[in-house]
Amino acid sequence: MDKKHIMIVDDDPAILRLLSTNLKARGYEVITATDGEESLEAVQKDFVDLIILDLMMPKVDGVEVCRRIREWSDVPIIILSARGDENAKVKCLDLGADDYLTKPFGIAELMARIKTAFRHRGDPSVAPAQSSFTYNGMEINYAKRHVTVDGKDITLTPTEYALLQHLAVNSDKVLTHGMLLQSVWGNEYSSEKEYLRVFVGRLRRKLEPDPKNPRYIQTIPGVGYHLASVK
Amino acid sequence: MKENETILVVDDDLDFLEIIRRILGRKGYTVETASSANEAVSRLKGHFYNVTILDISLPDADGTELLPKIMKTHPDIIAIMLTGHSSVQNAVQSLNCGAFAYLEKPVDPENLLSVISRGLERQRLLLENHRLLDELERHNRVANTLLSVSQAVSQSLNLQEIIDAALERVSQCIGLEVSFVYLSRNDKLLLMGHHGLSLRIAGNLPKEIAKDSSTIGSIFSQGSPLVIEELANHPGDDLGFLKGGGYHSFAGVPLMVLRESIGVLGVATSFAHYFSPVNIELLTGMGREIAIAVRNAQLYEEASSSKALRELDTMRTEFLANVSHELRTPLAVIKGSANSLLQPDVIFDEETRREFLVSIDKDADTLTHLVDDLLMMSRLEVDALEVNRKPRSLAEIFDTVKDRLESLTIKHRLRINIPEGTPPVVADDVRIGEVLTNLVDNAVKFSDDSTMIKIEVRRALNEVIISVTDEGIGIPPELHEKVFERFFQGNGRKTSRRKGTGLGLAICRGIIEAHGGKIWVESKPGRGSKFSFSLPVV
Repeated sequence: MDKKHIMIVDDDPAILRLLSTNLKARGYEVITATDGEESLEAVQKDFVDLIILDLMMPKVDGVEVCRRIREWSDVPIIILSARGDENAKVKCLDLGADDYLTKPFGIAELMARIKTAFRHRGDPSVAPAQSSFTYNGMEINYAKRHVTVDGKDITLTPTEYALLQHLAVNSDKVLTHGMLLQSVWGNEYSSEKEYLRVFVGRLRRKLEPDPKNPRYIQTIPGVGYHLASVK
Repeated sequence: MKENETILVVDDDLDFLEIIRRILGRKGYTVETASSANEAVSRLKGHFYNVTILDISLPDADGTELLPKIMKTHPDIIAIMLTGHSSVQNAVQSLNCGAFAYLEKPVDPENLLSVISRGLERQRLLLENHRLLDELERHNRVANTLLSVSQAVSQSLNLQEIIDAALERVSQCIGLEVSFVYLSRNDKLLLMGHHGLSLRIAGNLPKEIAKDSSTIGSIFSQGSPLVIEELANHPGDDLGFLKGGGYHSFAGVPLMVLRESIGVLGVATSFAHYFSPVNIELLTGMGREIAIAVRNAQLYEEASSSKALRELDTMRTEFLANVSHELRTPLAVIKGSANSLLQPDVIFDEETRREFLVSIDKDADTLTHLVDDLLMMSRLEVDALEVNRKPRSLAEIFDTVKDRLESLTIKHRLRINIPEGTPPVVADDVRIGEVLTNLVDNAVKFSDDSTMIKIEVRRALNEVIISVTDEGIGIPPELHEKVFERFFQGNGRKTSRRKGTGLGLAICRGIIEAHGGKIWVESKPGRGSKFSFSLPVV
């Protein structure tokens, strides 16, 4: 199996060293960058499977790096930040980050989150039995991981796609917050309700002609969500 | 009313005078007589007559010559001219000079009485008219004075400027020599300003007065004006500064806003002065204008200080966020490194394990340093920093930090120059060592490797000035003051260097100021920076 390439962006040399040692020991290839500008250059010329990104950095900060990368790439991004407040977290997720981890963190936790991100990228073991899903102008091709709405291509990040696929495969059910978090992200995420809120918001912005009156993803207040293919 | 109305009859015919006296006397008029122009003039001096009855032909002067003189000194007098031989020319001449009427002798008593009574009626109207005009003018003057005080005090929101402007205007407007203002603060009245007092007497003016005792205190607490016309007779010595200065009369009015007393305006004169109710009313009005301006200024001050408090609060919140971030970064390294060693899935080799331990060790030091900085800052904030000041040579001070400075500048070129004969300074060697370390640490953070960092020492008057010069990125002029503020974070530090707490230079300033010295920076972007501080010599 090809080694996965992970880029670490942090202005603290000690953190860079710590992370690369741990990632290399677990079989990943590591690329490092010490500021936002450097990371943007590197991510364009090197092949990168995942980015671990610090928020507070000189020159171009993490939020900006995240926003710019999302303009052209759906590479999974895990934010690693010393800012523990909810606002920063929601803002980053909203901008397209896939995950958010607060410093200090445990190595096992970081590794688990990296695995979750890769799982979203397309693990054949979770591919659905049917080859596609169609509803009200939206078409999902499971094999190609490709989505169109009214014939137009929609670009989704791996996590966005994973969430949409899970909703589509289970479109005959209402999925609770807990079920969605567990299935799409993992057991350790079951209390991260804002992840769900942010990612549903991101999906609606990309899929729905009118995100305020969703045609596809319906909110069941206090319970969860379902993809509205059944009445 | 008629008893008060006096009539001067001037005629050389004594019989006639006697008859007229009786006729008019019976009607209740006070009658005086004169038999010559000279006698009439001397009677008119210093006495007011409502009416004068003048014979045109007098032995020593012509009535038509006398009349203009009388009218000049008594413009409101009712003059009735008498003559034995009627002449239109005399009549016209007299009336032109201001006579009220012209009667022919022999005089018909009824006619005379009726002319007098019509004349008095006209005089009453004239006098009333004058009185009203006077009053109008007085009101106008009061309004103008108040307006001028009001304008003077509303030019500013600065309390002291308001008081000074008010005192100057009060003296100007009503010509009083001395004025002063006390304002209420807590349970005392504080002297806020004075005008017209000599330095010596001003020095005796009490700086604060109790609210419940003393003359000024009682004006404040009772909220009503007080006049002392003879200071010499005033018991008690609380106005002694005025008495001692040779002042004669005093008046004080409360400064009132919305029925609340906020202070006292006092005035005094060196001559005996009668403070009329109008004067007091005017002073009270001035007091009101001053009080409004003072209250506005006080409210403005309160509002700005609460704004300053809010700003401080925002700064604290930012500081906490900053501190939290700075604590979490080394903690992440410590936790991550220790955690790595504990992971069951990977066994690291000996060298890597050692690297983790070195990281833990180093970042524990970083944390310690951070905590020290925070403690130092909080001591400086409450002025609780202990400075062990003793005469020391600079060599002695540098010795304590030389190793640290050298290890900090391992990638730079450090040059220290202490000229021979530099006098010892009064300083705490440990604290000054901290300042030097901090300045050199900053120089390293913001300049390229292999560049020069110079520490120079020079003598200036009673101080020694120590400066740290680098060849780094420099600081734009608008930040030269700001860099010394707490929590200030400079941009453009070299990427591999860790951010500080934003406390370093604030701590330096605190330490230097505790030594009685100053710290400053000279710098231009791209041209390096020179941080200097002064220490007093022994």
